[in-house]
Formats: sequence, structure tokens, C-alpha cells
Amino acid sequence: MTIGDARIRIPDRISRGDLIIVNAIVSHPMDTGFFRTADGQPIPAFFIKDVVVTYGDEQVARFEWTSGVSKDPIVSFTLKADKEAPLAMVWTDTKGGVYKQSVNVAFTSA
Amino acid sequence: MASDQTSSRRWFLRSCALAGAGLLGSGSLLRGERLLAATGRALDPGDPEVPNEQIAKLLKDLFGDRPIRKGHLSLDMPVVAEDGRVVPVIIESDLPMTADQYVKAVHLIVDHNPDPHLSAYHLTPALGSVSLQTRIKMKRTTWVRAILETSSGDVWAAYAHVNVSLNGCG
Repeated sequence: MTIGDARIRIPDRISRGDLIIVNAIVSHPMDTGFFRTADGQPIPAFFIKDVVVTYGDEQVARFEWTSGVSKDPIVSFTLKADKEAPLAMVWTDTKGGVYKQSVNVAFTSA
Repeated sequence: MASDQTSSRRWFLRSCALAGAGLLGSGSLLRGERLLAATGRALDPGDPEVPNEQIAKLLKDLFGDRPIRKGHLSLDMPVVAEDGRVVPVIIESDLPMTADQYVKAVHLIVDHNPDPHLSAYHLTPALGSVSLQTRIKMKRTTWVRAILETSSGDVWAAYAHVNVSLNGCG
């Protein structure tokens, strides 16, 4: 995976009003700035500092991160599935990199 | 000459020891009082102490003088983390997430990390519940604090003590 590759996982079958669990992962080194390479060069800090979650056109969550979050950060949260709309996440890192991913929340006809 | 030397050395050693003891004594006493004054809040039994000025200031900046009580929140972390680079965290709360009463933010604070304010999760009622999972880095054995803030301004906390075997921060 290259930096910024992201995946969002939601359940296969969703009914209106379900409380679903959303799992998201993005590929990122999350360098703290304290480590050095094998030949002694410091590795500068480089990490995702901001994550925005939107559902339809509503911003439902925002996460502020530091380099204390592990490499290839995962985050999991719940969502009240009350409409058929795209669930989109945007990760922003300290060098201005912006990574996006989205999934469609659609209801299975019962 | 010889006796002079020994006595002066003895005097020197003794004064060093006394000065050291004095420093230690006054330092630790002052430190405790100062931190209590800085946070301006009493600790519940079982709460981790505020370890340094940085954490005291952080708590003050985030929550002001509001009491930080234990409850309505659970912080699930391993008692022993073999690898400080990847430590799983599960944060859950039983508080409602309705339009007029919800959890506004959850803060994760790791006392002895280089940057103790590890992350902040800003939530809305659309999430339906507070159930967060992530993985974090930890430098050494320390207390971890999860502290939430509700839309009405209440503050609730949960604490976990994690033993870290391998430094994950560099």
C-alpha cells in the first residue's frame, strides 16, 4: 500500500435505523520525528492530524490526531444509519496531503 | 596536612549530602502543593495523580475548573503492552446521543508520552453511540486518561494503567 490508500468497511446488510460499526484504515507512516534512519539521519515528523467524517452532506465527526496514533492508523466508530447516503472520510496530514475514501450506505430490501 | 585534607573532604561530603536531602525534601513537597493549586481540584480515591505541570495545564485548558468525575465511560486497554508502537484502545460510553443531550468530545491523554494530548474525537448525535477503537503509541509505563465532555458541559473520565515493555515513540 502506498501512503494515503484508505479503506472503509461497513456491514453488508443494513436496515434503516441500524446502529452500524464503521471501520476505517489509511496507509500512513505516522512518523513522530524522534526516530532516525539506519545511517543516523533524523526522520522528520510526518503524520495525519485531522480526519473528517461526513454522512450525506452532514459532518458527523472530526478527529484530531497526533503522531501518537500508530502507523497505518485505524479508527472504528458507530453510525446511526437513518438515510441512504454516501459516508465519506477525509484524512489530512502535516505536509498537506489529503486522502479521501467513501462508501455508500444503502439499505437491503427486507 | 593529612588530617586537614580528610576533615575538609568529610565536611564537603556532608554538606553535599545535606544540600541534596534539602533539595529533595523541599522539591517534592513544593511540587505536590503546586500541582494541587494548578489543577484546583481534589482527587477521588483511585484517580491517578497529576504527574507534572504539563498535564495539569492540559487539564486546565481543556476542562477549566469543572470537576472530572469517574464514570459513564470505559477505557479498555491491555494491562501489559509488549510493543509500545501498537497499543489497542477501546473507548465506550453509556451516555445518550440525542439531539439535545450528547457527548461532544472525547480526549485521550497519555501522561508520559512526548505529546500527552494524543487525540481528540469530536462527535455528533448522528453517530448514535460512543464506541471508538484505535491503536496508539506509548513511550513507557504510565496512566492513560480518557475524558469526555457532554453537550451540557459535564465531564466524565476513565483511567487505565498500562505497563509498556518496548518504547514505541523513539
